[in-house]
Amino acid sequence: MEVLASGKGVYRTPDPDGHREWVRTHKSRQMKSKLMSEKEAIERLVSDGDYLGYDLNISRRGPTALIREIVRQKKKDLWVAVRFSSLDPALLIAGGCVSRIDIGWFLHGGTTSRAIEQGRVKTTEWSNSAVVYRQLAGAMGLPFLPMRYLGGSDVFEQSGAKLVRDPFTGREIVLVPALNLDVALVHAYQCDEYGNARIFGAGLSPVETSTCARKLIISTEEIISNDEIRRAPNLTTIPYYLVDAVVHLPFGTYPGAMPGLYGGDREHTQELMLADRMDNMDAYLEKWIYSVESHADMLEKRVGAKKLVQLMKMETIKEGYHA
Amino acid sequence: MSNEINFTQSEHIICATANLIEEDKAYWVAIGGPPLMAMLLARRQQAPKVFYVVEDGTVSPQPPTYVPFISGASGAAGYRAIAWKDMNTMGFHCALGYYDYGILDCLQVDMYGNINSSIIGDDYDRPKRRFGGPGGANEIASMCWRTILMAEIEKRKYPKRVDFISSPGYLDGSPGARERAGLPANTGPYRVVSDKCIFGFDEETKRMKLLALAPWATVEDVLAGIGFEPLIAATLGTVAPPTEQQLTILRSEIDPEGRVISQGQWISYRPET
Repeated sequence: MEVLASGKGVYRTPDPDGHREWVRTHKSRQMKSKLMSEKEAIERLVSDGDYLGYDLNISRRGPTALIREIVRQKKKDLWVAVRFSSLDPALLIAGGCVSRIDIGWFLHGGTTSRAIEQGRVKTTEWSNSAVVYRQLAGAMGLPFLPMRYLGGSDVFEQSGAKLVRDPFTGREIVLVPALNLDVALVHAYQCDEYGNARIFGAGLSPVETSTCARKLIISTEEIISNDEIRRAPNLTTIPYYLVDAVVHLPFGTYPGAMPGLYGGDREHTQELMLADRMDNMDAYLEKWIYSVESHADMLEKRVGAKKLVQLMKMETIKEGYHA
Repeated sequence: MSNEINFTQSEHIICATANLIEEDKAYWVAIGGPPLMAMLLARRQQAPKVFYVVEDGTVSPQPPTYVPFISGASGAAGYRAIAWKDMNTMGFHCALGYYDYGILDCLQVDMYGNINSSIIGDDYDRPKRRFGGPGGANEIASMCWRTILMAEIEKRKYPKRVDFISSPGYLDGSPGARERAGLPANTGPYRVVSDKCIFGFDEETKRMKLLALAPWATVEDVLAGIGFEPLIAATLGTVAPPTEQQLTILRSEIDPEGRVISQGQWISYRPET
């Protein structure tokens, strides 16, 4: 196949057979309980230097409690696939956890912008869909996929994409390398103890994100029984054998919204936005992460039951978010 | 006179974009902000059943009123959707040609309709300013049949050539540039809606072309406000100003907190009687 142009962005060389080997040797097919605390899950499954990805963001259904635990444990040198994000990368970057990001989109003007401008965090340019599409290739066990966008722009130049001549039609087409994450974090509505998980609402990419990763941590609002899962198999978004840990974390996306269950904490989000803009993230991390032991501890000491009830009342639209 | 109406640049751009929206077409609208507001306004006016998707996979919802705080975060944004899919599905349907128009808000747009939302500066690795990135705009601008862009008239917003092409317009303007880059044929930017005018693009040269002026603006105002010389249509049309009804819907229902519509300078307009 004739390669017409290549982006010069840094990407990890796809390794489908390496991934298969990992699945063969590391992924249990056993129906066993994977319930554990967020502390244990992050200690066991996130290593310094890992390639990290997660679904959605700190505004909506992102795995925020798991992200906070990564910051609390001071993981280092992570390469983070940042797409359709908000201020979630700011938490990880302010915590000193990140050395490189893939850019789809982040909320600019604060921590993340500064880190890039000062050369502390390296970047490869993609787009929201391009990152998710690369995860699809990874989730299909393929080394790459062709796509109809990314070409012609400077994004192409700064990405790891290639423009080739399609051997079937003779026309130009962009190829992107598969992305297989080392570790993925996904926050679910419901999950059984084995990891069979249900996600409601517009999805973004829970399936691609979960499936392309070597290690997968599911946090969930609610633990349900395996019987319940089997009563409505169509609702299972992620089957258990992809999952390495199940962490029961009610309000696990806080301060974000879990559509149908609770709204986002506006007061907290404004505090975070201000800290991000004003380069005052150390105080924010101290208050919300370092000075508390766990997610439950944070909810108890920093949020309180009254606020949580308010957030639940705020979310008046329930249709479609319950089995 | 009592019939003077006052509105912001943002309000005008949203209303003028809403007026372009057609009932029987399909739209991919950037999530949150002015594009979504233009869509919700058109839904309340001339195009009540118009189909739209946003990049998280929400397919043609009927949001109750406005979408509070960070758009898209609550259940309201996806209320009564036809389907809740995912980002890749939106991309597939767009690649297949189902989405007629994309609507995007621009930080920077150049004479060929190329959009920058990534960096200011000439060194990608050490940018002078780092913005959020292409987001979903690259796929929208690449694969929708036509793209409608929104940007206020300002020199820094309309450079001759953007520092970085985050989302493709007609690239260098040469014939077939998009197709040679692997993008779907016969696609590209269609309109640029500003506070002073609406631009289109010349079929031959692919250069931005002034098509219609707002009643309060002149050709000279437009030329003085941007960083390149656009082509100018032989006959210039007139951009309709916002109506009282549009402004009421925007202010009381779509953006009651004024997060978006309060942005930009105020424009006073007195219709000739």
